[in-house]
Amino acid sequence: MALLEKLLRSKVVIWTLIVLPGLWPVWPFFIRPDPSALADPLKFVLHHLGFLACLLLAIVLTFTPLRVLGPKWGVAQALNRHRRLVGVSAFTYGLLHFGVQVLYQYDGTYDGTAAQLAKELQKPFQLTGLVTLVILLVLALTSLHAAIRWLGGKAWKNLHRLAYVAAALAAYHQAAARKIFPMQVVWIFGPLVLLELARIWKQRSAAHRPPAPLRVG
Amino acid sequence: MHIRTPHDWALPESAATPERDYRLRPRREFLRTLGYGAAGLAGAALTPRDLLATTAGFPTQPNPAFRDPALKPTPYDLVTSYNNFYEFGPDKADPKPNANQGWKTEPWTVAITGLIRHPLQIDANDLVRKLGGLEQRVYRHRCVEAWSMVVPWDGFPLAKLIALADPKPEAKFVTFTTFNDPKNVPGQRASTLDWPYFEGLRLDEANHDLAFIATGIYGRPIPNQNGAPLRLVVPWKYGFKGGKSIVKIDFVARQPRNTWQAMNPREYGFYANVNPEVDHPRWSQASERVIGASGFLGGRQKTLMFNGYEKQVAALYRGLDLTRNF
Repeated sequence: MALLEKLLRSKVVIWTLIVLPGLWPVWPFFIRPDPSALADPLKFVLHHLGFLACLLLAIVLTFTPLRVLGPKWGVAQALNRHRRLVGVSAFTYGLLHFGVQVLYQYDGTYDGTAAQLAKELQKPFQLTGLVTLVILLVLALTSLHAAIRWLGGKAWKNLHRLAYVAAALAAYHQAAARKIFPMQVVWIFGPLVLLELARIWKQRSAAHRPPAPLRVG
Repeated sequence: MHIRTPHDWALPESAATPERDYRLRPRREFLRTLGYGAAGLAGAALTPRDLLATTAGFPTQPNPAFRDPALKPTPYDLVTSYNNFYEFGPDKADPKPNANQGWKTEPWTVAITGLIRHPLQIDANDLVRKLGGLEQRVYRHRCVEAWSMVVPWDGFPLAKLIALADPKPEAKFVTFTTFNDPKNVPGQRASTLDWPYFEGLRLDEANHDLAFIATGIYGRPIPNQNGAPLRLVVPWKYGFKGGKSIVKIDFVARQPRNTWQAMNPREYGFYANVNPEVDHPRWSQASERVIGASGFLGGRQKTLMFNGYEKQVAALYRGLDLTRNF
């Protein structure tokens, strides 16, 4: 556990864990060509980037409940050092995913592509994706220390609670991408829901007890 | 620049067994001959399956009436690796491995039943023989998920099968039922869809020239993941209308409820005609991604009304509100 804690404290390790999965498509495209990925390479990249954005968003949101549930647990403390990095990387993958979506709709003409994108954005499936991205953009922009000082701690915290809205929208967006409900959504967002329920339960029961100073982030 | 490299299955014309040789010999003997022949063809990656699968060994002749030279067939490798076959898993990469782990499509019996004068239970090979063999047609294939392929299917016109069954006047629809085998098929142990997979056509649609039962692609027996050994192909409709691995063809009087319509009637209808004007509630159907398109960005094209078969099939739907009957 001590080693894991030490590793998770390292920025290099976290950066590696974030960047490496993004390079995964290289494997089925070039190293071990997989015809099901090569059938529409752009779609493969599109789905992969969206998947990583969802995964990182769900992961970063587990950091706070992990710390509340195990305040003395070194792993939770180590992870909480990287909240901004992981959060901003979820946004970055989301932005790349959106960029690929624009290319994916490209039909050879700019007008046609714009019309197609506009048409898609009228559907809740695509609109929720865009709203999620806008929320993550606002959160990424206000993740700097200067922004915290400018907004004030309380307002900043309230604003950043939008991350939960983003997670719910992302889960819907991911489920709506498929004809039948993809179980992936459950194993990405399920643990987060369970941890949040456990955290709420713990904080509720703590609130009933007389003064127990507990900082909640 | 686009360089065309021949695929390993692209046999030269000279490698073809003369038609006379096919016809003179019974099937098993033909298979043996083809086996010897294949051994002599360096690099002609014929697998045992090509020789022994159900409906293997029937000669197939391109039908020029159904071969638009403007259509560029999607490579074999992609057609057989990018499949929606939920019986074998939810991802398009799943059916190829999962449908080839001991899942048996030989021998195969199909029941032709219902409001017909000649009901029968028949072996798939006997059915092909009875209907006079196979022909090849190159069709556009458009999935409801807004992607498309071009597939050279081998098989026989559905109308021939219907003539054999000889429907009674009260038969108005034809239904197609896929196998139900949860013991051997992983996807059918999950309740993703209401098994067995079930599809249907109006009798006049089923009798249309274009409606086809495929037993092969690219001149080879149709792979399990593409719906071996008998698979419905209705090229002017979304791909999900094409029931795979059919075990029952039933003639009925009332409009059936197909699997996807039963699953989500707001999103999937009975007709499922390809229509760029009528969107799926979650995505636009105005254009489609072309599987195997050259170049990273060259993959999107406009979707055609009735998938490009408007001239042939529009008359079937005269007076029908296609926005409501999607």
